Amino acid sequence: MIRFENVTKVYEQNARPALDSVSLEINRGEFTFLVGASGSGKSTFLRLILKEDKASSGSVYVAGQNVANISSWRVPKLRRGIGVVFQDFRLLPQKNVFANVAFAMQVIGKSRSIIRETVPEVLKTVGLEGKERRMPHELSGGEQQRVAIARAVVNRPGILLADEPTGNLDPITSMGIMGVLDKINQNGTTVVMATHDDDIVNEMRRRVVELKNGKVIRDEAKALYTSMIPVVGESRRLRDASGEELNRAQGAQL
Amino acid sequence: MRLLFILGEIGSGLRRNLSMVISVVLVTFVSLTFVGAAGMLQMQINQMKGYWYDKVQVAVFLCNDGSTAVGCASGPATEEQQANLQSMLESPAVKQYINDFQFESQAEAYTHFKEQFSNSPIVDSVSEDQLPASFRINMKNPEKYQIISETFSSQPGVETVSDQRQVLERIFSWMNGASVAAMGVAAVMIFCAVLLITTTIRLSAFSRRRETGIMRLVGASKTVIQLPFILEGVIAAVVGAVLASVTLWLMAHFWLNGDLSTQFLNTPFISSTQVLVIAPVLIALGAGLAGISSLLTLRRYLKV
Repeated sequence: MIRFENVTKVYEQNARPALDSVSLEINRGEFTFLVGASGSGKSTFLRLILKEDKASSGSVYVAGQNVANISSWRVPKLRRGIGVVFQDFRLLPQKNVFANVAFAMQVIGKSRSIIRETVPEVLKTVGLEGKERRMPHELSGGEQQRVAIARAVVNRPGILLADEPTGNLDPITSMGIMGVLDKINQNGTTVVMATHDDDIVNEMRRRVVELKNGKVIRDEAKALYTSMIPVVGESRRLRDASGEELNRAQGAQL
Repeated sequence: MRLLFILGEIGSGLRRNLSMVISVVLVTFVSLTFVGAAGMLQMQINQMKGYWYDKVQVAVFLCNDGSTAVGCASGPATEEQQANLQSMLESPAVKQYINDFQFESQAEAYTHFKEQFSNSPIVDSVSEDQLPASFRINMKNPEKYQIISETFSSQPGVETVSDQRQVLERIFSWMNGASVAAMGVAAVMIFCAVLLITTTIRLSAFSRRRETGIMRLVGASKTVIQLPFILEGVIAAVVGAVLASVTLWLMAHFWLNGDLSTQFLNTPFISSTQVLVIAPVLIALGAGLAGISSLLTLRRYLKV
């Protein structure tokens, strides 16, 4: 479904590449966690799939198509096949739940009758039945994220990209969201989720791809957030933190 | 569905940016009014040229009592001199340039003078013999005035040869100047309008960046995303152009064909229906300018 072949992305000349010759394949219907520290390249990975950015070298294939060969006027078609969910929900504050989800269908020209039929169905899938008329500010964070997920999948995309969807939510609410994403995945949608949330990754036991400085350093099926190969004498947090952060932490202790 | 959606987007955009939209309407209104006024002046000049150039004459004024010109040293023109001039006008050498001519005696000149200045106290201070008699010549081609002037101005009994066209040319060049000035003001105002439209579209795009961001992600086409913004600018500009057209029509209807035409009875003014020719031009100009400037703005400030 998604294939990266030696993909390198450089934002600024002379700077360290955001992605460094990454090769990776994600199959149809798979659920993949993308983990790694901030700046490890997770967001760049997602942006390349959406053709928000162009790879500096290498090829990105989405649904069998090399995205570099998709002309700019056909990019919308590519994006219709991909749903996206963000940490900050990105709902439209002046539209109610129904209208927020319907918006995604309106802008691609779906008819009113199809919208009226589909939106309640999707809201049921994400567990928001009966909340169609609520405004976003009347909802909890978890509920808002459910609206965002409903909007992302209402056009039945083959791929769902989630960029830290639980980043703003408490652990219990987060597990609820994961239940929703899992359900969507069960229905055949390929899910790629970038996250920092080790509890969730450990709980779900799915494929984990770990990025560090733009390189894939681990790709394990049914894995945990941290590598199962133990590292002696160092906590995970210390191992992950950059030298600068360590110095700051030590400075604070003194 | 999509059409309804786009219309809804336009409506909300116009509402949210109301003050900016009103300023776009006003600036395009003023600028296009100046464009239209320049156009009207040109039409008026053409109208007057067509009307007057058929009627203008070359006048050969004869000497009278008060003449000071060199040719009049021997006093007022004699009947002999007058007959001589008349036979010259009838000779084939001159006749080929003129359609016809009339003689205007001092008495006739006085009657015309009284008609022309009927409202002015000057009539009371002018007597018949102060006005010169003249030959009024209708030229075949008014450009050939020089030939008549050279032939007659040195003849005895002729005070001066005057071409009425020259007076008109002065008026026309003055009107031309006014229309160029109006175009200049219009150019500056149009520049303002373009800048203002650009800013308005930028603000509008900024205030709706959430919506457009989501539209991009769910795969809305470029047209659906950009069209509402472009139409917003175009609608504002077209409203301004319509206001300008209405203003010009009112000006033509109530001022030119109302006040002025009663004051200047023998001046042909353009009619208010003629002004309607300008309206579509103004509307197309407004819509075109707004469309192009919003398109260019969106290309820079709205990522699709």
